[in-house]
Amino acid sequence: MLCAGLLSACKPSPSTSAPSGKPKVALVMKSLANEFFQTMAEGAKKHQAAHAGHYELIVNGIKNETDLAEQVGLVDQMVSQGVQAIVIAPADSKALVTVLKRAKEAGVLVINIDNKLDADALKQAGLSIPFVGPDNRAGAKAVGEVLAKKLKAGDEVAIIEGVTTAFNGQQRKAGFEDAMNAAGMKIVASQSGQWEMEKANGVAAGILAANPNVKALLCANDNMALGAAAAVQAAGKAGQVQIIGFDNIAALKPLLADGRVLATCDQHGDQLAVFGIEAALKVLKDKTTPADQQTPVDVIVK
Amino acid sequence: MRRWTDFFILIAVLGAMIVLFGLMRDSFFSMGTLGTVANRIPALALVATGMTLVMVTGGIDLSVGSLLGFCGAVTGVLMADLHWGLVLAVLASVAVGAVIGSTTGAVSVKLRLPSFIVSLGMLEIARGLAFLTTNSQTKYIGADIEALGAPFGGLVISPAFVISLLVVAAGQVMLSQMAIGRHLIAIGANREAALVSGVSVDRPRLFAHALLGALTGLAAVFNCSRLGSADPNAGTGFELGAIAAVVVGGTSLMGGRGSVVKSFMGVLIIATLEAGLIQVGATEPVKRVVTGLVIVAAVLADTWRRK
Repeated sequence: MLCAGLLSACKPSPSTSAPSGKPKVALVMKSLANEFFQTMAEGAKKHQAAHAGHYELIVNGIKNETDLAEQVGLVDQMVSQGVQAIVIAPADSKALVTVLKRAKEAGVLVINIDNKLDADALKQAGLSIPFVGPDNRAGAKAVGEVLAKKLKAGDEVAIIEGVTTAFNGQQRKAGFEDAMNAAGMKIVASQSGQWEMEKANGVAAGILAANPNVKALLCANDNMALGAAAAVQAAGKAGQVQIIGFDNIAALKPLLADGRVLATCDQHGDQLAVFGIEAALKVLKDKTTPADQQTPVDVIVK
Repeated sequence: MRRWTDFFILIAVLGAMIVLFGLMRDSFFSMGTLGTVANRIPALALVATGMTLVMVTGGIDLSVGSLLGFCGAVTGVLMADLHWGLVLAVLASVAVGAVIGSTTGAVSVKLRLPSFIVSLGMLEIARGLAFLTTNSQTKYIGADIEALGAPFGGLVISPAFVISLLVVAAGQVMLSQMAIGRHLIAIGANREAALVSGVSVDRPRLFAHALLGALTGLAAVFNCSRLGSADPNAGTGFELGAIAAVVVGGTSLMGGRGSVVKSFMGVLIIATLEAGLIQVGATEPVKRVVTGLVIVAAVLADTWRRK
């Protein structure tokens, strides 16, 4: 009787479950060369170390953020290793759907973190995968509102976007636009800095030269905010142009402290993977149906 | 005689671009633009100088972008975490660059492997080292390094700019007036003939790779000084800009012909193109397509003129 119960309980997971009885969770990341994902992965490892009795963790990342094939391969490998759950930050919001469908059909629980899978693609695949993560648009809007208070209606502002194909980049741009439009600012330029400091520096310098009345640069991540701050300084406009960023990386602290950067948004990068893992463990334990879950974002000033 | 024709063509192209961008956007004719371009040039000019010396021998180094990231990472860790002074950090960065450049050169020259492949391997290694050194984190350095890239007394000329001009001048003298330069060109023009005529073919090539590495190390410091921080991702794709500048300047990819001053003109053209495209508000895809077309057009024009 007990045995049968156990067997049926194990049914949804692959036959190769961990001998120790602890569930195996695979964390599949984007590039671990990126500070943001590195922090996320370290947070997850710390969490596992503190809860070593509850689950095993396998962390994998891809070499470069656009290498979709490598990430697809990772998911397949994790499935064949017999993990019970995959927590994934998809490198592309559509291209990963097919392999995740394969994973689910093999009985693996899939939780989506960081970059939200495309709703239409999921629908077409007849798949439901819960997203556990922050609302980038709301976060960007909140930082934008802090900036709006420092400006007056009609002021010219410019946006330095992330990679234009990335969902979180699009969301942050939309959030900045929400805040600026609501406060009556004039967005005179919006160009991509490709998430990179150096590219953003060049873009910011160009925008400042082409639009001498720009009062603020809204950057979709902190690396680009650092590049923009250097451009403002080089243009001799220190103190005249406000800058906001996103992510709250350590290197930004001195600039926040002396006001060169007004504000940034902390989406608790070190906890993002942990939120996903906790959601996965809860579903595995309680056998509940997983649901979307929003994680906190905080505006950081000074 | 033809040397001067080439030179005037490059100036004409640069002039045409400036006029074109100026017509598209009034603000292009401004001190702001001049400052942006002048700010952008030093790192590219240093690497293009070294790259010219490598490319006249028929070699190439694809690892300079990653090396720029790695040397910058070293500079960032030394200055931000270990609180080294600027001078020592510069020396360390140049030394690291020289060691890596020499390694690429030595493996390629001594083991008779194409520098294209060896430096492709080094591109991966150096980027990996950059992430390892910084633990993948951006390092904020601040005022200690910014002075190098900041213009004197509010004008457009920074110490980094002056140093890069001096390096370009020295590189030109080395290539056109000194024995080492003649040897580099002879190796690129015809390696067998150079061997027969008693020119050592290994040492000048090693020297060129080492010098390129050292100059990349210095460029990395200039790059950090412009941004006030060291980003381990810095220099991604930078090798393409440097090689494009050298090729636009008319240095042959086959070796045997090249000029550091013309490479510098190529740098000016690439930097102006970049600044212009941003100011007219070109989107990322347009920027890439236009930059690519300019490079191909430059090589085509060069080939036709020589026929």
